[in-house]
Amino acid sequence: MTSGDEVGSNSRKPVPKPEMATGQTRAKSLDDLPPALLATIMAKLDVASIFSAASTCTAFRACASQLLSFLPTIHLLDIAPSMDLLRPLLGPPNPYLRSLKVDCDRLNDSAIELLLRPPAHELCLLNCVDFSGKLLSEVGRRCRDLRSLCLGSVAEKRGRAIHISDLEELLIGCTQLEALILMFDVSSLIGHNFARVWPLASEKLTSIEIGYISSVAVTEMLSPNLGPHQSPNHIRPSILPSIQKLCLSVDCITDTMVSTISEGLASLTHLDLRDAPLMEPGIALDLTNFGLQQINQYGRLKHLSLVRRQEFRITYFRRVNDLGVLLMAEKCTNMESIYLGGFCRVTDTGFRTILHSCSRLYKLRVFQGTQLTDLVFHDISATSLTLTHVSLIFCNRLTNLAVMNLVSNKDLRVLDLRNCKNLGNEALRAIGILPQLKILLLDNTDITDVGLSYLRQGVMCSIVTLSIRGCKRLTDKCISALFDGSHKTELRELDLSDIPNLSDKGVLLLAKSRVPFSELRMRCCPLIGDTALMALASMLVDEGRWLGNSLRLLDLYDCGGITQLAFRWLKKPHFPSLRWLGVTGNVNRNLVDALARSRPFLHVECHGEELGADATDQWDCSDSSYVHDYDEVHDYDEVDELEQWLLEGEGELVDEEMGDAELVE
Amino acid sequence: MSSSKSNKIVKLESSDNKTFEVEEAVAVQSETLKNMVDDGCANDTIPLPNVNGKILEMVLGWCKKHVDETVTGDELNKYEADFLDLDQADLYGLLMAANFLNVKGLLDRVLQRVADMIKGKKPEEIRRIFNIKNDFTPEEEEEIRLENAWAFD
Repeated sequence: MTSGDEVGSNSRKPVPKPEMATGQTRAKSLDDLPPALLATIMAKLDVASIFSAASTCTAFRACASQLLSFLPTIHLLDIAPSMDLLRPLLGPPNPYLRSLKVDCDRLNDSAIELLLRPPAHELCLLNCVDFSGKLLSEVGRRCRDLRSLCLGSVAEKRGRAIHISDLEELLIGCTQLEALILMFDVSSLIGHNFARVWPLASEKLTSIEIGYISSVAVTEMLSPNLGPHQSPNHIRPSILPSIQKLCLSVDCITDTMVSTISEGLASLTHLDLRDAPLMEPGIALDLTNFGLQQINQYGRLKHLSLVRRQEFRITYFRRVNDLGVLLMAEKCTNMESIYLGGFCRVTDTGFRTILHSCSRLYKLRVFQGTQLTDLVFHDISATSLTLTHVSLIFCNRLTNLAVMNLVSNKDLRVLDLRNCKNLGNEALRAIGILPQLKILLLDNTDITDVGLSYLRQGVMCSIVTLSIRGCKRLTDKCISALFDGSHKTELRELDLSDIPNLSDKGVLLLAKSRVPFSELRMRCCPLIGDTALMALASMLVDEGRWLGNSLRLLDLYDCGGITQLAFRWLKKPHFPSLRWLGVTGNVNRNLVDALARSRPFLHVECHGEELGADATDQWDCSDSSYVHDYDEVHDYDEVDELEQWLLEGEGELVDEEMGDAELVE
Repeated sequence: MSSSKSNKIVKLESSDNKTFEVEEAVAVQSETLKNMVDDGCANDTIPLPNVNGKILEMVLGWCKKHVDETVTGDELNKYEADFLDLDQADLYGLLMAANFLNVKGLLDRVLQRVADMIKGKKPEEIRRIFNIKNDFTPEEEEEIRLENAWAFD
């Protein structure tokens, strides 16, 4: 007998006959587990999986129904439940419920009783189009322990208004509220003492996000009014002093608004402002160098995002140039994340200053960097920067050289180079060596099949999301360039839209690669047809498991070869996990309707809208928001027009105005 | 004999009469065994009638790995990932053993592993993977299908 670490069988006792071995004579299975263990397992599952497991046998079913009284987290964002579905889920009293997220597209005020649970700490209700303002006041009345609240699209159906008293009750009632997201247009509340309700908010409120609000209303909201009885020496009370995070979508970003925000919110660490002007902003109602200079007066700002969108007209921040950026960067040396969209007058000087002043920067995002060139990244390796997220969208002056310099940041996790027309294969060669890349977006760049093969050995092992939408030079060979079957890949989301030479053959190769995709987009590919769909539906990955099983999103909008036959492959049991489908609806109206009826939990888009659930954090520079801002990025015809305009020097008038916007020290 | 933990050996016997000898430091990774040791019941061979030899060997291997100070964090992660790559019969046995022996971390990992194997799957798949018998009546089956279709359709 050996001592110490030895583990081995002992020959002293006689070897027992197999029948005498206790407890292991027949194959045991999960349904034999003691209920306590079963409950622990099921409690780790999401709600959909719990019900799927509950459908396997009586033991699981009993466990699941008990579990509903204990489940701390219920998230139903994938499907829009009806009241009938919701009742068994939320009906049983559950004092442990802490986090509830529901897509309320099919619900209305009658669901309030079910949805608003007193013990909840986190509540996220999206698509509340059929609710009235009562939702807000009821939250204030019932959910007193709420820490985080997100309400999307409340009362957007015509005729259902929100009143200021609803908001008031919400703010008064939720005394523990820390984060408030009102993802809808609050204009209907304006003018009714909108500014007066905010001091009623909980002291713990640190984060506010509003879906749409006018900049004037913001200024009023954050300006404490001095009553007639207060002396001039009276210290002005600050409104919402604890706010650290402010994300607003406004009509037009102005100096006044930015100044008010910067002066009033001393704890601000995260500022996200975006606008989409309807009219060309006049000089008194725009962001100028002066406004930029006001930012970060208390030195606490870590994340800054200023974006002008071209939703209604072609416009950009005309009154901001390098000087403004320089003055801002001086104050923002602690900045960790910067997003500048529509700063077309800023040149390399401005962008370089940011890179060299902000030593803690790890996220850089520039949209429409019309004058941004390779020079910005020329000596980036000399800085101590460790960038992890880089987005350079519509930066047409960038060439491969910039990318070759950028990849000295080995920690890059997200690289978004959409619409940088001059990037090509050499950039891909450089990108191929990045060890940690998760998201790579190359829409509308000048790459070819050969370039993609540079990715195969290195970066394809880590990438989860890849987009090569609109890369017109690609052919079917790009698929074999990316996947050779030998390397294990983490890739789950692939966008192959708008590639004219991609055909069924390419999709067949894709299916053969056996990669378990969760999202596949192949919009506007004229050569893709029924065979491609059949391949995706019927390819076996292994015994009993089809490739199509893992697909949750499939976009085949405007694919030239898709006919009525294709719908056969979209019916059950194919693509069992599919939640989002894009097809061209006008030709196949009846089939689409029939499909939608047989698969009630499938979102079908027939008119070309982009697929995918609205990200609840569309503001955050979180990874998902990088891919889902299609509107911004794909209206590139307009951007070309803008560039043309800029190059032709429309600037004389604006220069005059720039002269007027003198800096006040 | 001194009660220096580093030298003491604990003897364990599985349900199929295999004996294992391990250092006390390894054995006490199991709360159940630790209690026995503390109560002074560990001087003779401890019989474990509900854990078979194969599973016991695995569990003791896990305990040893976690006591070993020369193993790096990365190595441990990889070990744990490979460890749980089991068929459902072994998984079941491991689950019961980890539950009975109350081994820190192991039980939760196995439970999580089972949960991960269930996540996102349709009922037929779950039944297939875990060899679960469908014991619903046809009426119940239909009822369930209507109620729960949203979860896996």
